[in-house]
Amino acid sequence: MRTAPSPHLDVATPERVALTLPVAGIGYRCLAWLVDAGLLFFFWIVTYFVFTLLVSDVLGVLQALSGLARTLLVVGLFATQWLYWTVGEVFFHGQTVGKRVLGIRVVRMDGSPVGLFESAVRNLCRAVDFLPMLYAAGCISMLLTRQHRRLGDLLAGTLLVREERIDLDKYTATSATTAEPLQGATRALTPGEVELVLAFLARAGGLAPQVRQRMGEKLVDRVGGLSGDERAAVLASPERTEAFLRARARAEG
Amino acid sequence: MALPLPAFVAKRRPDWDALQALLGRQKAGALKLEELRTLDSLYRRAASDLAHTQTFYPGTDAHRFLNQLCGQAYAAIYQPPRERWPAVRDFFRKDFPVTLRRELRFVGASAALFCLGLLLGALVVLWEPRGAELLVPPGMRQYVAQGRMWTDDILSVAPPNSVASGIATNNLTVTIVTFALGMLGGLGTIYMLVNNGVHIGAISALCIREGMTRGFLDFIAAHGPVELSIIVIAGGAGLMVGQALIDPGELPRGQALSLRGREAVKLVLGCAPFLALIGVVEGYVSPGSLFPTWVKAGLGLSLGVLFWGYLLRAGSSEAVRTGAPADSAS
Repeated sequence: MRTAPSPHLDVATPERVALTLPVAGIGYRCLAWLVDAGLLFFFWIVTYFVFTLLVSDVLGVLQALSGLARTLLVVGLFATQWLYWTVGEVFFHGQTVGKRVLGIRVVRMDGSPVGLFESAVRNLCRAVDFLPMLYAAGCISMLLTRQHRRLGDLLAGTLLVREERIDLDKYTATSATTAEPLQGATRALTPGEVELVLAFLARAGGLAPQVRQRMGEKLVDRVGGLSGDERAAVLASPERTEAFLRARARAEG
Repeated sequence: MALPLPAFVAKRRPDWDALQALLGRQKAGALKLEELRTLDSLYRRAASDLAHTQTFYPGTDAHRFLNQLCGQAYAAIYQPPRERWPAVRDFFRKDFPVTLRRELRFVGASAALFCLGLLLGALVVLWEPRGAELLVPPGMRQYVAQGRMWTDDILSVAPPNSVASGIATNNLTVTIVTFALGMLGGLGTIYMLVNNGVHIGAISALCIREGMTRGFLDFIAAHGPVELSIIVIAGGAGLMVGQALIDPGELPRGQALSLRGREAVKLVLGCAPFLALIGVVEGYVSPGSLFPTWVKAGLGLSLGVLFWGYLLRAGSSEAVRTGAPADSAS
């Protein structure tokens, strides 16, 4: 019944329930990094242009700044590049902007949120993950470890989990046409079959007509237990087929 | 026999939706005490539903949904203590110096490596002057050949504050990289330490050969002790990581690594404010002749003593440790 084994994080909660969180792979992580890096890049570009728009004599203003202010400015610029990640992860529940966009989150190995130290470790280690260029070391490490962790994650004891958008509506959706009384149905469906039927129903609207027809027929044969006239009646139109399938999936017991 | 899946979902879904809404409000920080109690009971119910789906409907979307919901609730409920300002104060008052004292042998090893580099660089240049061509950047060699300090010119071309900021960011980079390269089994850290040592050793030897000892000391005296100490401490942190990687002891390698990593980063984070401070000194005080040499030397020495005094004494109830902190500083 299990779907294809993908890397996951097993967490044992005090409630004695085992959580299985899906781990974000290298693709998600690269995309999230691109979003973050792009954001930082454009932030500086925009800041620069706004500054030049507001102030005509940029060099003059910079030179007019007091020494301390200028030092703070340069150190501040530098620190922003390093602090951005840690601030995001500590204060926004393990998510920088890019991670939020991609729906991934940094957690400790036991599934709890990251603290300051973990986040600092994994982000300081960007220096070594980046080596020799463009996170090559980090990527190799992600490919080699089972849970796609880069060197910084290994050192900090963290990893990234994925948050999926799961729609429960398909379970509770009711068809427009009221279900006809079921004939011939006696056997209870397994959860896997229910899932299969519901997945089909959720997508049926977008399928090509003959595919819709063919798959509906296969499913009716699999879950219906109908024969002869009844089967022909159910298969007469896609709407009737799907109404039957929906009723079948929702059938009690 | 369990309910069919859709009926189960339809029956339990209101609770899940309520839990989701509460979690959203918890994130926004707008949760009342009453709601907190509800959150708790809803989480327990969701957890038991999750156990139910694990048994009866494994691999379905309902299972995945509950898994994720419970994961979020779990993260919201079992939060680590929040780091706030008192924690920061405690960190500098106690945690950082205590950690450093506990890991003093790594810092010692790092200092030894650094001194090794220093000696190597100095000896090479003293024995074979042409070695300087290899070890000292050409720009600096030119200045030294003309009998001037390179810093004199930096100051006349650029105002001291831009020097300070450039130096501060440079030091930050060196510190971070020295620590982070510990992930390469400690080899990267060793390389960084020896490499930096060799460079500094070679430059100082070159200055001595060219009869510029005074100028060199003049430049390095004010910031040298603390700055080199910080690099040595960052090196010690890197070595800790390398050691955990090579010899994890009784723990699995991954666990040992994350455990030691958390300790090691304390050393680096603790050094950060001092690094910023010393960057200011290096930019403003060290170059040029604004301050006489004895002032610089005095400042450097007292800063070094203060720094190591703080590191070796702060946060310990039995402050017995004495000694000569200043000479371990460079």
